[in-house]
Amino acid sequence: MFKLEAYNKLLISTSVAAVVAFSVVGCMGDSTEPSGSTTSVSLDIDGGVSYPVVNNKTSDYYVNPQAIGAKINNGRVPNAAELAKWDTDLQPATPLSPEGHGIPEGSGSVEDGETLYEAQCVMCHGDFGSGGGGYPALSKGNAVDLQKTLTNNRWKDPEADGPTRVFGSYWPQATTMWWYIRDGMPHPFSDSLSIDETYALTAYILNINEMYVDGEEVDDEYVLNRAKFLKIKMPNVDGFEPVISGANVLGGVKAYFGKASNFGGRNLNQGAEHCMKDCQEPTAKIKRIQNGGIKDFIPAMNVTRDLPKKEVVAIDVKKTYTESCAMCHSAFLSPGSGDWAGYTPKGIDKVYANGINGTESGMPAKGGADLSDADFKTMVDYLISGKVK
Amino acid sequence: MDNKKSQDQNTIDRRDFFKKAAAVSVTALAGTSLLANESAGEGDPAIMHHTKWGQKWGDPVTKNQYGIPSAYEHNVIRRSTKLLASGNFRASIAVTPIHESQGIITPNGLFFSRSHGGTAHVDPNEYRLMIHGLVEKPIVLTLAQLKRYPSVTRTHFIECPANGGQEWRGPQFNSVQFAKGFMASAEWTGVYIKTILEDLGLKPTAQWMLAEGSDNSKMGRTIPVDKVLDDAMIVWGQNGEALRPEQGYPVRLLVPGWEGNLCVKWLRRLEFSQEPWYCKEETSKYTDLKPTGKAIQHFYANEVNSTVTSPSPEIPWTDLKEGDVVEIEGLAWSGMGTIKAVDLSFDGGKNYVEANLKGLVLSKSWTRWSYMFTIPKKFQLDGKQILLTSRAIDDAGYIQPTIDQEIGIMGVEAVYHRNAVETWEVTEEGKVNHVQIRSV
Repeated sequence: MFKLEAYNKLLISTSVAAVVAFSVVGCMGDSTEPSGSTTSVSLDIDGGVSYPVVNNKTSDYYVNPQAIGAKINNGRVPNAAELAKWDTDLQPATPLSPEGHGIPEGSGSVEDGETLYEAQCVMCHGDFGSGGGGYPALSKGNAVDLQKTLTNNRWKDPEADGPTRVFGSYWPQATTMWWYIRDGMPHPFSDSLSIDETYALTAYILNINEMYVDGEEVDDEYVLNRAKFLKIKMPNVDGFEPVISGANVLGGVKAYFGKASNFGGRNLNQGAEHCMKDCQEPTAKIKRIQNGGIKDFIPAMNVTRDLPKKEVVAIDVKKTYTESCAMCHSAFLSPGSGDWAGYTPKGIDKVYANGINGTESGMPAKGGADLSDADFKTMVDYLISGKVK
Repeated sequence: MDNKKSQDQNTIDRRDFFKKAAAVSVTALAGTSLLANESAGEGDPAIMHHTKWGQKWGDPVTKNQYGIPSAYEHNVIRRSTKLLASGNFRASIAVTPIHESQGIITPNGLFFSRSHGGTAHVDPNEYRLMIHGLVEKPIVLTLAQLKRYPSVTRTHFIECPANGGQEWRGPQFNSVQFAKGFMASAEWTGVYIKTILEDLGLKPTAQWMLAEGSDNSKMGRTIPVDKVLDDAMIVWGQNGEALRPEQGYPVRLLVPGWEGNLCVKWLRRLEFSQEPWYCKEETSKYTDLKPTGKAIQHFYANEVNSTVTSPSPEIPWTDLKEGDVVEIEGLAWSGMGTIKAVDLSFDGGKNYVEANLKGLVLSKSWTRWSYMFTIPKKFQLDGKQILLTSRAIDDAGYIQPTIDQEIGIMGVEAVYHRNAVETWEVTEEGKVNHVQIRSV
């Protein structure tokens, strides 16, 4: 079982090692190639430092030491039905876990998948998964061929083809697709497909990526089920680093991120220089934004400090009547009473003016409501006519 | 610095100050600059006229029972673009106006917002958090029960690892809001997951934790237990109030310093396992393709980074002239530790001077830096337009690479985790344009 005390001790001992290592930090001269350096001080799995609790402080923060190792026992144990309802994730079959996790019994055909796709998916993901409209493509053709484009890099030639990263060419595991279809699709009303429907859609996506499962082509007649699903090997399954599957892999992950050159980082403890003079590559020059760049900002960029332009929004007459007028004007001069002329022989403009300014006989200015003159006139018209214009 | 020395320093500083102040006022009297600004005769209307707000009642205290910004601040808002509009703005991002940011805290209403199935609106009464898998005792908690754990409060930035990711092949956004605003910073309150695990007991074979949201996309990510047992938190508080819906109300994960995407919002479930999960957002996306054809998966930390926020394309120097003294200000941050130093270059990263850190310097947090500068003629130094480049260093030893250094290893197709130095060019008129200094 996990023991926090032991873990903290481990962190403290590594932090001492870090202090020693930091004392040798400095300018190390020219260092064109940091890889291969072994003076790493990575203390955390991410290659960075961590701040163990020392003297009741972690970095600049005090901690209540009583809260460390306290047993609290909040909450309750979920029952089997609750666990089953929420534990719907999938994990792939691996040597350590040959059956994977959460991959349910069921089946679905490419044919059914296509029908479903045409009904529920094509409007966003395009014909045959070609993408469009801001939604990702699901296929760009043959998965095995396209996997080979992953070494394409538009570094020097902007007109060159870039890598194609779609399900077939890039994704390491098919469980990801199955799980995401089941839990997250269709996007506007997710969590609505059955297990068999999910198998059918997965089969269809394998089909449009021109994939094979266990040597068998996923053709138009193909029916996918759990047993076959477990045998799917994605073309790019080995395309990722560091290794994350298997027992005791976290040390390897830590070692990977402990070496800055693995991920394009520069570390002063790994041979990088803290350069202050003549630091730029001599070939470097100014590259400016091309063709105006991206500037369709929503809303447009604006740093002025003014009042927002008032939008002309039609007043909600009945709501305003209920909130601001009805207290008095349901008893007399109620909507549609039409007899205002008797009160103000001087005409409708006088009616408006009295209302806007208020009267000594009890009408508060605009009835106390926060209305423009125009909106107030609309309310007066309503009271006279009983009709919403 | 000891007390004696610091007192002496203060005395000198104060004397110095009075001397300088006297010199400035003499210059002011003798020079024409102040006179030129003086309004002839009638005086500045802003001073001479009665103001609307000075002569009648203001609002009663009962108005705006939850306060809102001045109407004049209506342009200080999150923004988006069509490029980032995927899923009808439901699998999309709206970014923080960091050119308007003050200090190291982002107001909750301006905190950048990213979702994969739209902003969920969770009923806190129906909120449940389930923790299960390789633990001795699985549990389910209500929100009230979760908040009964001893709380911790920490200031951390959250950054989308695609911050700057549209500009691997060259600058695209003439805007610091879009070039660097896929991030924000807040003071978060919650509980360390390791505190809860004290109750549950983590089994020794556990290597990974799945964090899953309850939103429409069931956003999930895999996190190694090393981080879970270090500083990963379950948080419900943001800058002294409940999380906003856009930040995962009522509860999100906070993985300090790591990809914002790992800080799963509307959090409903944590599961521990020996094998990882391969969620959609840690395979199809959030992986860094290198020129070797291999992609980095589980690229956790946002690396050391910095930017100049003033001046910026949004806040240029067009109101300044030769001889004016101005503060150059910016942000530095690292998900791998604490900012140690920031250097500033006026020639696009060829030569650097040390800038000054300013205010609180906290781990895995935004850090302010500052440099006082006198505007030269035509905004030129040695006959060339000023090219402002900042470069940060953290206490793990990481220093921002040049663009050439970074793409030399990562190529230009990685999308995520771009942290090479960035440059603003100041034109003869004091306008500020985003450029990059690179060989290809």
